[in-house]
Amino acid sequence: MGEEGTGGSVHLLCLAASSGVPLFCRSSRGGAPSRQQLPFSVIGSLNGVHMFGQNLEVQLSSARTKDTTVVWKSFHDSITLIVLSSEEGTSELKLERLLQMVFGAMEALSGFAEAMGTGFVSLMVSGRVVSATEGWWRLGTPEAVLLPWLVGSLPPQAARDYPVYLPHGSPTVPHRLLTLTLLPGLELCLLCGPRPPLSQLGPQLLERWWQPVLDPLRACLPLGPRGLPYGFPLHKDILGLLLLHLELKRCLFTVEPLGDKGPSPEQRRRLLRHFYALVTSTHFPPEPLEKVEDDVSRAQLPRACYLVLGPGEPGTGLRLIALQLGLRLLLLLLAPQSPTHGLRSLATHTLHTLSPLL
Amino acid sequence: MARPPAHGSVVVPDWHETTEGKEYLACILRKSRRRVFGLLERPVLPPPVAIDTASYKIFVSGKSGVGKTALVAKLAGLEVPLVHHETTGIQTTVVFWPAKLQASNRVIMFRFEFWDCGESALKKFDHMLLACKENTDAFLFLFSFTDRASFEDLPGQLARIAGEAPGVVRMVIGSKFDQYMHTDVPERDLTAFRQAWQLPLLRVKSVPGRRLADGRTLDGWAGLADIAHVLNGLAEQLWHQDQVAAGLLPTSAENTPS
Ligand SMILES: Nc1nc2c(ncn2[C@@H]2O[C@H](COP(=O)(O)OP(=O)(O)OP(=O)(O)O)[C@@H](O)[C@H]2O)c(=O)[nH]1
Ligand SMILES: [Mg+2]
Repeated sequence: MGEEGTGGSVHLLCLAASSGVPLFCRSSRGGAPSRQQLPFSVIGSLNGVHMFGQNLEVQLSSARTKDTTVVWKSFHDSITLIVLSSEEGTSELKLERLLQMVFGAMEALSGFAEAMGTGFVSLMVSGRVVSATEGWWRLGTPEAVLLPWLVGSLPPQAARDYPVYLPHGSPTVPHRLLTLTLLPGLELCLLCGPRPPLSQLGPQLLERWWQPVLDPLRACLPLGPRGLPYGFPLHKDILGLLLLHLELKRCLFTVEPLGDKGPSPEQRRRLLRHFYALVTSTHFPPEPLEKVEDDVSRAQLPRACYLVLGPGEPGTGLRLIALQLGLRLLLLLLAPQSPTHGLRSLATHTLHTLSPLL
Repeated sequence: MARPPAHGSVVVPDWHETTEGKEYLACILRKSRRRVFGLLERPVLPPPVAIDTASYKIFVSGKSGVGKTALVAKLAGLEVPLVHHETTGIQTTVVFWPAKLQASNRVIMFRFEFWDCGESALKKFDHMLLACKENTDAFLFLFSFTDRASFEDLPGQLARIAGEAPGVVRMVIGSKFDQYMHTDVPERDLTAFRQAWQLPLLRVKSVPGRRLADGRTLDGWAGLADIAHVLNGLAEQLWHQDQVAAGLLPTSAENTPS
């Protein structure tokens, strides 16, 4: 990570603590903003070691190489900030203070939720939740799925105040779903009772809370259609993917990972959906493997299966592979040129690359 | 209550068609399409030009199916719904509109926030009507040229909705004017209504406008030309109302009709 030249450089990374999704990265060299970016693999490893420690209840707070100091800090279990500095005279304390300040700006989501008197707040891009409060993540399955669908399917509006009946949580008494389009395509969603009135969420209040975090908000926008942060390395043969975390009951899904050559997004989505129905009904249980008590039957469960679409089917030659490792199930749709003997290693590699995200 | 200003007396009516007007309008368009602004955004004019923004809340009221949602979509340059889906709650839409004032030659950026709520939601949930009425600067009362009952309901609407808000701008809009051939509301009834109520009355056609060469995207410039009279009308009424409220203009009592 060493830098030549004087002045040294500073990189600041902000990641969602639960998923590891990078929210934004900032770099400077000699005190001036720079466009230089850390490779994705480095970001992944930096987050990885920190998470690894956390899982063992070890708090990794800083590290030093010959010329670089790294400081990690998690805030409210929602955000991890990492700063790397090769500036001369850098101290861990100074960097930690920097992270505190950055987090001051990042506190918007939870602070905002608290100020609005609701525990259920999320940010959505094209009907996908990119960030949410703990309360929102804990919503029951029907509403956790239906609310983003509803928001993603409505024509654009600056704001909405819709009565919603929650099939699981409150089927007879309506709650209010408030949505606020902060940037085109990016909606702040609140689930609440009689308060606050929509009129309270006027432009002044929104600016006060969200203008300071405009950069991280803009960084969320590409997550919409692609579902993955910019620069995320994926094999070029991958036309679509579905990654499920069986315990967290969250998924990561995209049919537009790279270009738009090949089958249409609708066709990709259809193929993945059918394949998912097929593998979960025949090979993989949709519940975590841990629930399968019997060791023998556990050993007999397959870990991967694939199929190649035959002639006569739309999309002849396309490949589909499913791979289950631990609590994660990955389904890939691949271009016809992808060699079948390499499918399994490609899927394994992709699953490892995606694991920090989900 | 201030008498409404005469058409064209407050803002320059066809300014949006002039070269200067088009330069200003360019900031609410991008590549000939209407721009959509997030709540944290606003139009940016080229650096030397800085103009004031005047923000207003406008509550759009009227019977179910008269075309409230369609009108607001048309004003925002979005696709208008072709079939009627009841609006199940409140939805707001922001429209920016630069206009030039007659008196001072100043250009003002108007920011209209339209509050649209489906009629049945409004009836079912009391808090929705309260939220829509709270601190509103104007009421738009819609009736449809193809629905006689919606026209006859206007006096009732005016009393129910705007009864306790005497100082607020009230405008009446006849929608589905493109269906005028089949109208249930003849001109003489409109004349009588206007005489009785002394309210500004506009006619609109909330139908999809011209499209760009790709055949899909709505042509932003054409869309603006379709709705300029509505936005100018609103700007005029609201600006005038502000001037009266600030004591800068004589009120109607002293202002004998010419
Ligand atoms: N031809 C024509 N159709 C219109 C016009 N305005 C609205 N419509 C149609 O009338 C129907 C109802 O319009 P909406 O805008 O959904 O009605 P609404 O007033 O919002 O109704 P609620 O939400 O139920 O209160 C839709 O099918 C529109 O396409 C218009 O100016 N011309
Ligand atoms: Mg409607």
